[in-house]
Formats: sequence, structure tokens, C-alpha cells
Amino acid sequence: MQFRNQKKPEKIEPQMAPMIDVVFLLLIFFMLTLKIISPEGDFNINMPAVAQAQTETPKLLPDFKVRLLADAATGQLIEVRFGQRSLGNGPQAFQLLQQTIKEQIAGSPYADEVEIEIDADFDLNYEHVISAVSACTGEISPSSDGGKPKISRFVEKIKFAPPRQSQRAAVGG
Amino acid sequence: MRIKKADPVLAEVDMTPMIDIVFQLIAFFMVISNFEQTQADERVRLPEDVLAQPPTVKPAHELVLNVGFVRDPDHGIPEQGPVVFYNAEFCRITDTDSPSEVLIYNRSTGANVTRKTVPFAYRLEQEKRLFFDRGVNPAEEVTVIVRADTHVPTGLVQKLIQMAQEPFTGSDGTSQGGFAKFALKAEQSAVSRAFQTRSP
Repeated sequence: MQFRNQKKPEKIEPQMAPMIDVVFLLLIFFMLTLKIISPEGDFNINMPAVAQAQTETPKLLPDFKVRLLADAATGQLIEVRFGQRSLGNGPQAFQLLQQTIKEQIAGSPYADEVEIEIDADFDLNYEHVISAVSACTGEISPSSDGGKPKISRFVEKIKFAPPRQSQRAAVGG
Repeated sequence: MRIKKADPVLAEVDMTPMIDIVFQLIAFFMVISNFEQTQADERVRLPEDVLAQPPTVKPAHELVLNVGFVRDPDHGIPEQGPVVFYNAEFCRITDTDSPSEVLIYNRSTGANVTRKTVPFAYRLEQEKRLFFDRGVNPAEEVTVIVRADTHVPTGLVQKLIQMAQEPFTGSDGTSQGGFAKFALKAEQSAVSRAFQTRSP
């Protein structure tokens, strides 16, 4: 039906300004709350209580022993020893440790059974322990086709020897 | 002479593209920012390592222990040794019975404030009991995540682990085994991050 006085549908102009205000506020809020955190990873160590450990069946392979010697005053690494063998210090020592363990593990049917015991001086800086654990657990290598880097794991079982006494004269701790 | 004046045309700015982009930015920041409750402590500077990979499976129950230093403004390692940051408290690993003191540098006044520490053995025992009372077996179901600072003496971390392993008396009076699963946290180093970003 036609009405004479029918008005044209009016175009409603939405009010943009308040919305833009709010949107900007939101934007600034999210920008300010943004915190850039570098990702963290972890190394699992399994340390059951001493009482349980003694009831274990005897192992087929003896534990690998990694000894870390430290300077008592500064906590810096002095020497890395694998069994009786000295591997020097610094990053090369950990690379050498990685290679040695890789050679020892390679081809062994009991590779899964191997345990590594890390015996560190009391005052050694914690970062060197992480390096040692890392060198024992595996290595990372870029894959040949440029894809995801390959991580090969050597030893899953890492444990610590009982802590030694501090050589430092006055350690707060 | 009469000059025909044109109506001053109000230049209408087209808002649509700008709003599109602003919405996109908001969506980006919303996705990027994580409000996940982490118990990470920024006072702890983790050691870096290439092999540190974020865990694929999150443990069902975890207890995060932050071991670090109350650093002075020069970012040196203070003489007073490391403490455990436990909620708002400062705990010492080596304390047995009596609490000791720790100096906190107050940035606004520039002076040191003394705070009492809590022997950490107490807090660990509490944690074990709390897990036990909730029906969680500390020895089997809980992973203790150790976030220790780069310069913490290794012996203290080992002592911390030993303390966490110690058995405790549950609320029903029976002796229960302490924590048995541990994870050492390290920050992913730049090298491994570069490896990861290169991958598609």
C-alpha cells in the first residue's frame, strides 16, 4: 500500500568516536601488559629416596661418573672428569664429554640402562651443572634438509651424588 | 561583485580501514599476551642451555621452587648467599631451627631493610602435607621444578633436593615418602631458539 507521506528510510550514522576511544584504550592496555618471556625448558632427573634405591636389582652396567671440580672462592669450573679421565674445562670440556658419552653409548644394547652420576663440588656455580646435564642427556644438530633440528638423546637417567662439604670459608646459604 | 560561494564541504574521514587495523592489533596483542599463572620469579636468572626444551606434557601436580639472590642495585652477587623465594617469604636452605636475617635493598629510600627468613625445611614439610591431604602422593604424582639462579652453589641445590626427598609424617600419622621427581629449569638459549624459528 502506498502512503503519500511515507518518509524515505533515514540512514543512521553510527557514532564512531566513542568506539574508537574504547578500542584505543584496549589496544594500549594489551600493549602495556605484554611481557616478553623467553621460553623455559627443563631436564628431568629422577631421584627416588635412598631407601628405595637399595632394593633395586643390580645393574648390568656400572654408572658413568662425571666429576666437576670448582674453584671454592668463585665457583668457577676448574676441571671436568669422566671416570678417571680429565676433559679440561670450559665449553670444550662439555663438548668432549658429550662426544665421549656418545661413543660409550653407541651400539651398546644396554644404552637405556645407563645412569650418569654427577658429582660436583659444593661451591660450583649451578650453570655448569646444567651444562653437564645437558651434555649427558643429548645433542642438538640441525637436520640435513633444513627442517626442524634433531635432538638425539643419549642418557635419560641422571642423578646426583651426595653433596660435598663447602670449601668456602663463610658461605651464607 | 558577487562571488558564488561554494558550501564548505566537511571532509569526511573514512574510519573503516583504521578501525580494521586497530582491531587486528588488538587481536594480535590479546593472543600474544598470556595471563597464564606461572610461578616463575623474575629475580631468578636461569642458566641458558641449548637442549632445554619446553616439556611436551605438563605434569599433573607441580611444586615450583625459586632459588636466587636478593641482588643489590649493582647487580652483583651479594655476600649473604642465595635464598628461596617462597610466596612473599624469604627462606634459607641451610637454616634448621632458628630463622636468620636477609637484607633487602629498598630502591626508594636507598637503604637496606632487614627481613627475617624462614627455615625452608618447615615450608617443604608443609607442602608435602598439603599434597598428601589433597589425596596426592608426593612421591609419585608431584614434580618438583627447581628454578635456580646461574650462580647458586650446586651443593645448595643438592641440599634442597635432599630435603625435598625426606620422608614426612602424614596427617593420619603414617610415614610417607617425600618428593621423588625433579626437573631442573633452564632458559632456552638463543641458538636453540634460532633453530626453532627456522623450522616451518
